[in-house]
Amino acid sequence: MKVPLWRPRQKQELDQEIRSHLEESIHERIERGASREQAEAAARREFGNVIAVTETTRDMWGWAWLDRLAQDLRYGLRMLSKHPAFTAVAVLTLALGIGANSAIFSVINAALLRPLPVAAPERLVALNNAGQQRGFPTFSYPNYRDLRDQNRTLADLIAYRFAPVSLSHAGVNQRVWGTLVSGNYFAALGVRPQLGRLIGTADDLMPDSHPVAVLSYNSWHKRFGGRRDLIGRDLIVNGRGYQVIGVAPDGFSGTETIAAPEIWFPIAMQSAIEIGADWLEQRDREPLLLQGRLKSGVTPAAAQADLNAIARRLAREFPDANQGLEIELSKAGLVGKSLRGAAVGFAALLMAVVGLVLLLACTNLANLLLARATERRQEIAVRMALGASRGRLMRQLVTESLLLAAAAGAVGLAPVLWPVQLRVQLRPPIDFPIALEVRSDPRVLLFAALLTIVTGLLFGLLPAWRATQAQVAPVLKGGEWFAGRRPSWTRGSVIVLQVALSLVLLIAGGLMLRALRQAQTLDLGFVPEHAVEVTFDLRLQGYDEARGRALQQQLVERVRELPIVQAAGLADLVPVDLHFAHLPVFIAGAAPQRSANAPVALTSRISPGYLQAMGTALLAGSDFSDHDVETSVLVAIVNQTFAERFWPGENPIGKRFSLGDPNEPKLHVVGIAQDGKYSGLGEDPKPFVYRSLWQSYSGSTSVVVRGRSGAQSMIAAVRRELRRLDPQMPIAAATPLGDRLKLALLPARIAATLLGAFALLGLVLAAVGIYGLISYAVSRRTQELGVRMALGARKRDVLRLVIGQGMRPALLGILLGWPAAFALTRLMKSVLYGVSATDPLTYIAVAALLTAVALLACYLPARRATQVDPITALRYE
Amino acid sequence: MYNGMVPAKQRYQSRIELLQGTLDLLILQTLQWGPRHGYGISRAIRANSNQLFQVETGSLYPALHRLERQKWIAAEWKTSEHQQRVRVYRLTVQGRKQLLTQRSRWQRFSDAVAGVLNAAGSETAG
Repeated sequence: MKVPLWRPRQKQELDQEIRSHLEESIHERIERGASREQAEAAARREFGNVIAVTETTRDMWGWAWLDRLAQDLRYGLRMLSKHPAFTAVAVLTLALGIGANSAIFSVINAALLRPLPVAAPERLVALNNAGQQRGFPTFSYPNYRDLRDQNRTLADLIAYRFAPVSLSHAGVNQRVWGTLVSGNYFAALGVRPQLGRLIGTADDLMPDSHPVAVLSYNSWHKRFGGRRDLIGRDLIVNGRGYQVIGVAPDGFSGTETIAAPEIWFPIAMQSAIEIGADWLEQRDREPLLLQGRLKSGVTPAAAQADLNAIARRLAREFPDANQGLEIELSKAGLVGKSLRGAAVGFAALLMAVVGLVLLLACTNLANLLLARATERRQEIAVRMALGASRGRLMRQLVTESLLLAAAAGAVGLAPVLWPVQLRVQLRPPIDFPIALEVRSDPRVLLFAALLTIVTGLLFGLLPAWRATQAQVAPVLKGGEWFAGRRPSWTRGSVIVLQVALSLVLLIAGGLMLRALRQAQTLDLGFVPEHAVEVTFDLRLQGYDEARGRALQQQLVERVRELPIVQAAGLADLVPVDLHFAHLPVFIAGAAPQRSANAPVALTSRISPGYLQAMGTALLAGSDFSDHDVETSVLVAIVNQTFAERFWPGENPIGKRFSLGDPNEPKLHVVGIAQDGKYSGLGEDPKPFVYRSLWQSYSGSTSVVVRGRSGAQSMIAAVRRELRRLDPQMPIAAATPLGDRLKLALLPARIAATLLGAFALLGLVLAAVGIYGLISYAVSRRTQELGVRMALGARKRDVLRLVIGQGMRPALLGILLGWPAAFALTRLMKSVLYGVSATDPLTYIAVAALLTAVALLACYLPARRATQVDPITALRYE
Repeated sequence: MYNGMVPAKQRYQSRIELLQGTLDLLILQTLQWGPRHGYGISRAIRANSNQLFQVETGSLYPALHRLERQKWIAAEWKTSEHQQRVRVYRLTVQGRKQLLTQRSRWQRFSDAVAGVLNAAGSETAG
């Protein structure tokens, strides 16, 4: 169908029809003897309002709304291009708000909203081990097997585990991340191969029997140039051949949204992939993440009840490992519930912040439009007198705001459509392959479009309503329509809102800044400066325990000899790290407890010299020595919290306990170390146990080196020594020790940067708003102020009068902003290290700052008011 | 202020507000006697109603364009006796049918109103 958007012909014809009506009427009157002028006047009087008739007649054409829209758009564009400065300011302000919202939303969309690239993602649920106190929501393999085989509500239950491997390719060993998956993994997810076939149940039946691998599409392209003849060949992984059986489809990188491992192996190969690991038959080792696919028609609640019935049975049958086993289902995609909670909280905080900024931008624009409405009252009154209805005029004005919003939406969305840049900036300093593909999909565009429309209405409706309240006659007579001497309540309340909003933003930003500063003085329990860490994994190179330990001892000895090195030591894990083992503690002589109920402590294995290299103080006792060997008495160093919790008021040196299992050999406490941060900067003090690496071997270690030289030269030296011991050794990571803190502080840093920038923006917007309001009020009151001064008012009185007028709404805004900030900053608890969300200093300082800015914004126009010359003011009208 | 014999206000009140939808019927009826332009239609309605119905242009033209859209009347440009280019409307076949339906409906309506009014009258009389 043709859309007659402009209909020039039809319009001309209607005009002609109306002209001919008038002409016929005039002719008739002349024929009856009237003069030409009389006839014309009478005919016009009889006809009535030509414009109104034209408009109502056009309504009958069916496309009238479209026609009027086109007219409104044209008119709106003309108005906007006539005031380029206003338009630019408005569009930029709004573009900032809409852009920030869309950008944050597209990140949230990628991390939280976009469905996983599998068949029927809505029926996929993650299983969380709710009874587990140890961080990740993981399960043991025997429990997985029982849950999989005994449940009646899941079509499939899959298990997987991320594991780093050493991939030999073109003569180089590289550390890449793989995933161990159960045999039903790909079939359950409904994923079809890009090439070859995927891992099936037959590949996962017998331990160690099917060395096969499936490559991710990206890995196949990046590492192997997308060669099709790769299928059927062997890849060397951890020194062993794995046949490549297929390539996964483009876009599939597993069932965790942000993780992007490169290779999939059957779980049955676990002891070769995680060299030395042996958990297939161990119910108290919990390495696996589980996801289930609900049978159709089964609710998550029903499935959870079904699984918990099995869990209770398993707890009765295997109380040592399973007591308290409880399963909770959650949405799949962010490592069960463990990341989702934090991610949703952080996302909510960011959305709230950018939402506030947009709201601020809206209030400012509404303010500008209100001011312009006063300027335009003449034009509006004329149009009303000519027969335009109030609805029509409001529609016209709102169309203008929507036009502004649309332009701003287009400008603001531009950076979001530039996903490359965003992806680079979001790459966090972490060893694990993170792929958060921030791209604008229809959901983002829809969000931006909705936001634009809502915004346009938000800042457009109120001014339009106010503007069309004009009474026609007084305005046309040149009198005052806007006769009130005070600024209207609308503009006053806009100031209240603005001040409240920017107070909230400033408090949030101030808290973040204080938290970041606090984090720098936070007692970490180690000294990150002047030290480096170099991580390598001997298992991936095929070392057994004897050879591995020999290499570790040699390496530490050689590095210590280096002139630039003050101290060096090894550890299997270095803080701050999420992967510290949580093990149950059994104190010798205390009442026996089941392992599922025992209190837990974090633990790591360290060599002599490590604590010194970390800068961790030994408060009592002594460090490990090289004479502690497997055959001598087992030693442990515990931290202060551990000592106080288990032996309050006693001397812990010489006490004994076992870790993991009450039957394990007892460890003897030889030293007390200071407390520290282990898994995160926001954590409370946790009990921690150091064991001797020489007594409890680990093939994957980091060497920590403290020295006088620069970080890069120390790293190079360690590398050199390592290569001398094994030229092929792949190095997983080599960084200054402080780099880990960057990751731990990343959320806080993002939040602080955003909040800081937005809070500043909010402050400027509020200041401009107050200044605009008071300037306007002063210009309206020129005459009154002149009279007052003529009657003897002093400058001080005028100043007080004008400033008081602006400060009243500003102070009200501060009063209202406090509780709002109090409510919002609760969301920030997880990123505020060592600062209370109700930190009174921040609250008061920010309020003082805002008051000062508001005072300045009022003072400038107020001073102008005192310079009013009474004579000029009185002569004005 | 006087305008001829009748005060302006009074003259206005003596006109009868057209019932909703009645204008369509009057226009169709007027066109039954031959094609006319807008001004001609309004003049005819006024004359045939003894000056009682003064059709507002603000109602007439929307009605004409609406009827045209419903294809009950059709329009073409002609030249009037005053050498004026005028838009002349004529009744279509569909319009003629519509006129018959609307006329009979109007007839039933006015009979019904008359019946009610007469019944009321005889009751008070009786």
